[in-house]
Amino acid sequence: MKKSLFTLAMAFAFVFAAFANDPAYENAMKKQISSMNTIQSSEQSQTVANGFIRIAEAKSEEWLPLYYAAYIKATAAFRFEVNKDQYFDQAMELVNKAEKIAPNNSEITALKGFVIMGKLSVDPMSRGQEMSPLAMQIFGKAIALDKENPRATTLMAQMELGMSQFFGSGPEKACGLARVGLELFAKEEAKVDDNYLLPTWGKREAEQVANACK
Amino acid sequence: MNTRLLLLTYFFLSQTFAFSQTIISGRILDEKGKALPGANVFIKGSFDGTSSDASGAFSFESSESGDQLLVVSMMGFKSQEFPITLSQSKIEIPSIKLIEEFNEMNTVTISAGAMEASDEKKSVILRPIDIVTTPSAMGDIVGAFQTLPGTSTVGNDGRLFVRGGDASEVGIYIEGMRVGNAYGTTAGNVPTRTRFNPNLFKGTFFSTGGYSAEYGQALSSTLALNTKDLAKRSQGDLSIMSVGGGYSHTLANEKRSISISGNIFDLKPYQALIKQNFDWERAPFGRDIELAAQQKTSKGGLWKVLARTESGGMQLWQPQPGMPDRGLLIDLKNTYSYAQTNWRKGFENGWSLFGGISFSQNKDILNLGGLDLERKNQLSHAKWTAGYDFSDRLAVKNGVEYFRNDYSEVLTQESLERSIGENQGFLFTEWDWYLSRKLVLRSGLRAGISSLADEKWLDPRTSLAYKISKNGTLSFATGRFHQLPEERFRVLAPNLKNTESRHLILNYLYQKDGKTFRAEAFHKSYDHLVRFEGIHQNPRNVRNEGDGFARGFDVFFRDRESLKNTDYWITYSFVDSKRSYFQYIGQVQPDFAPKHNLSVVVKHFVPSLKSQLGLSWSFNDGLAYTDPNLTGEMNSKTGTFQNLSLSWSYLPRPNLIIHGALTNVTGHQNIFGYQYAQNPNEQGRFESLPLGQGAPRFLFLGIFFTISKDKNANNLNNL
Repeated sequence: MKKSLFTLAMAFAFVFAAFANDPAYENAMKKQISSMNTIQSSEQSQTVANGFIRIAEAKSEEWLPLYYAAYIKATAAFRFEVNKDQYFDQAMELVNKAEKIAPNNSEITALKGFVIMGKLSVDPMSRGQEMSPLAMQIFGKAIALDKENPRATTLMAQMELGMSQFFGSGPEKACGLARVGLELFAKEEAKVDDNYLLPTWGKREAEQVANACK
Repeated sequence: MNTRLLLLTYFFLSQTFAFSQTIISGRILDEKGKALPGANVFIKGSFDGTSSDASGAFSFESSESGDQLLVVSMMGFKSQEFPITLSQSKIEIPSIKLIEEFNEMNTVTISAGAMEASDEKKSVILRPIDIVTTPSAMGDIVGAFQTLPGTSTVGNDGRLFVRGGDASEVGIYIEGMRVGNAYGTTAGNVPTRTRFNPNLFKGTFFSTGGYSAEYGQALSSTLALNTKDLAKRSQGDLSIMSVGGGYSHTLANEKRSISISGNIFDLKPYQALIKQNFDWERAPFGRDIELAAQQKTSKGGLWKVLARTESGGMQLWQPQPGMPDRGLLIDLKNTYSYAQTNWRKGFENGWSLFGGISFSQNKDILNLGGLDLERKNQLSHAKWTAGYDFSDRLAVKNGVEYFRNDYSEVLTQESLERSIGENQGFLFTEWDWYLSRKLVLRSGLRAGISSLADEKWLDPRTSLAYKISKNGTLSFATGRFHQLPEERFRVLAPNLKNTESRHLILNYLYQKDGKTFRAEAFHKSYDHLVRFEGIHQNPRNVRNEGDGFARGFDVFFRDRESLKNTDYWITYSFVDSKRSYFQYIGQVQPDFAPKHNLSVVVKHFVPSLKSQLGLSWSFNDGLAYTDPNLTGEMNSKTGTFQNLSLSWSYLPRPNLIIHGALTNVTGHQNIFGYQYAQNPNEQGRFESLPLGQGAPRFLFLGIFFTISKDKNANNLNNL
C-alpha cells in the first residue's frame, strides 16, 4: 500500500515536473510555430529557424526547438533554391543535437530519416544504394519507438511508394501505411489544442501517398 | 491599504520594466565586409533576439537589464559573444564580422594524384557502385580502376599497372592495413583478380602518385579500401552464376552486425560449353569463406573484424615454342587466409585514434612440368595512429607501424629450401595546414627501418592545392618513395636495398553539377631498381642497379547530368616510360607500359525495362617486347589492345537482379607479347608463340536473390 502510494506520488511528481511549464518558453514556441506555418522563402525559413535556435540556446534541456529548427532546414532544402547538401547537413547537425537531449525519441528518429531521404534525393543514382535502406531502417525504428507516430508511418509510406514506382511493383504496401498514417493523424488531431507544441506536420504527405493509390 | 501599496509598487515596477526595454541594433558582415543575412543575434540565456536582414542589419528589443552577453551565431560560422550593459534605451553595436568556419564543403581539397570513390565526399571520381556496374570489370575492384586515368590494362595479367610502374609498385590496403598477396595466384598469361569482393567496401581511395606519408613501400601507387560500417539489416543473399554460386547471411542490430558468406566457383562447366584457346587440364576452381563483423563501442567508437580463407587451383598445358606437343603442364594449388581487426574513435576534443592488426598467409603448391615447388608468404602488420585537430586550420596525424614478413621457397623433391624473415618499422607524421579556404599545404615525413636490408630511410612528401575558381582547383604534389624489392628477389639476394622513386605531379580538377574534368601531368624518376641476368624464371646476380623514368599526362571527363539516365566517363593516359630493370640491359620501354591508353565507360538506365545497360571500351597502342631475331631489346610492339564489353542488369523485383555481361564483343585478337624459344632452330631463327587470350570472349550470367524481412533489399553490390 505504502509502496503504491509512493509510486502514485512519484507519478504525480513526474507529471508536475513535466508540466512545470514555463510560460515564456511556451509562448516563444507558439509564436515560432505559428510563423513556421507561414514560411514562403528561404530567408523567412532562416529567420524562423533562428528563432527556434535561440529558444534552444536559452532552454538547453528542450529537444523540441532543435527539432523544429532541423525540420525547417530540411523542408527549406526541399522547397527552395538553396545549397541542398549544406541545408540537409545543417538539419542533421541539429537533429543530432536534439537526439543527445532526448535519445530514442520517435519524432526525432523519424525526422532523422526525413533528412536522410533529403540527402538521398540530391543524388539518388549514387546515394540510393547506401541511403535508401538506411532511411527505411530509421523509419522502422521510429515506428517501433512509437506506433502512434503518424509521421514515422507516413514517411515510411513515402519511401515504399518511391520503391514501388521505381520497380513498377504495386503500391499496396505504401497505401496500407498511408491509410494507417491518416488514421493516426486523426487521433492526433483530437489531442491538439492551442497549447499543443509537439509536431503535427505530415498529413498532407500522407494524403499525397493515399491519393497515389486511387 | 496593503493591497493598494502592492498595486502601487507593481505599477512602478512595471514602469521600470517598461523603461528597461532596450533596443539593440547593429550590422553583421562576413570576412570580406559584405552583408551577412540570416545570422542569429540574441541575448544569452533569454528569448530576446532576431536575425540579420538582407542588408546584414539587425534590431531587437530586450527586457533584460544589467550586464549581459550578446551572441552572434550562424551555422558554418564561428560564434561570437560580446559583453554589453543594458542600461540605456538604445544600444548601437559597431559592425560585427563573422568568420566562416573551415569545413570540407567550403575548403579546397588536394586532388593531385588522388581519386576517391565514396558516396559522401565532394571530390569523387569513381563511386563504389561503379565498381560493380562497369562491364569490363566483371565485379573485380581492380578491373574498375583500370578505366581511370594513370592506369594501363595489361590483359594477360589482370593486376593494376600505374604510370609505367610494374604491378608490385601498387600497395593495396584494407582499412589502412597492408594486404599481402591481394591478387589470386595464377599461371603465366592467365589474368588474375583481386581476392576481395567489392561488396565489402563502402569507399576506396586510389592514388596514382604523390600520396600521403601514411603509406609506404609502394613506388607508384596506393589503393586503399575502406570496409563498410554496421550492416543496415539482417538478410540472406543468394547468388547463382555461370561460374559458381554463393550464399551470404547477415545479422544486424543497432550495435553490431555480422556477415558470413561462402562461395564456390568452378569454370569447368562453362569451359565445357564454350571453346577455349588455352589447353586446360583442370579449369580454375576455388572456394572461400568470409566473415565481416562490426561493433559500435562506447561513445562513438567502432570496432571491425574481417577474416577470409580460400583455396583453389588450376592445371594448364602451356605450349612451348618449337615443341609440337602440348608443352609443359602447370599444376597450381593455392590456399590463402587473411584476418584483420581494427578500432577507431573520434573524440570531441579533436583527437582521433586508430589501432589495427592484420595477418595474411599465402601458400602456393606448384608443379611446373615435373618440378615441385612450394611457396609460402606471411605478412603481419600492426598500426597505431593518433590525429589531432589544433583548429579548423591545422591538423596533424602521427603513426607508428610494424611489419613482419616471412617468405620461403621449397623445391620439394630436392628438399632444398631458401627463406627470408624481415622486420620493418615505420614512423610517420603528416600536417595539414589551411592557409586560407583556398590554399592548403600538406607536409609529411615517413621514416622506415628494415632488419634484413639493414637500412634506414626517410621520405619527405608535400602537396599543395589552390582553388583558382569556384569549381576549379590546381594541385601540386611531390615526394620520395621507397620500396624493398619483391620477396622472390630478396630470397635470392637478402642484402638487396630499397628501390626508390620521386614523383612530381601537377593536377587541375574542375567539378560542377555532376560534371568532372581532370587533367594531370607527371614526372616520376626511378633509382636502384632491381636488375638481374638470365631469364625471369631463373634470375642470377640480382642487384639494385637499375634506373628509369616515367612521364606523361592524363585527362578524364565524366558527365552524369547532360544526358538523361546516362552516366559516362572518358579517360586518356599518355605514358612515356623507360627503365633499365630486370633483364633489360639499357633503358627501354617495359613490357607493361603502353604509351596511349584510352577508355570509355557508358551506363544508361532504361526505366521502362527496369534495366541498366553498360558499355565499356578500352584501347591501348600495344605492348613492347623483344624479338631476339632482331637486334636490340624491346625492339617490337604488339598490335593494339581493344576490348568492348557490354552488360545488362535487370531488376524485375526489388530483391532480384539478373545480370549478364560479355567481354570483347567484337572478338578482337589481342596479343600481349610473344614467347620465344631459348635456342634458335636449324634455320637460326628463334621460334615464337603469341601470348593471346584464354578465349575470344567471356560471358557472365548471374542471378542474385535477397531474402529479408524488407522486401526492397537487394544485393546489387554482389554483382
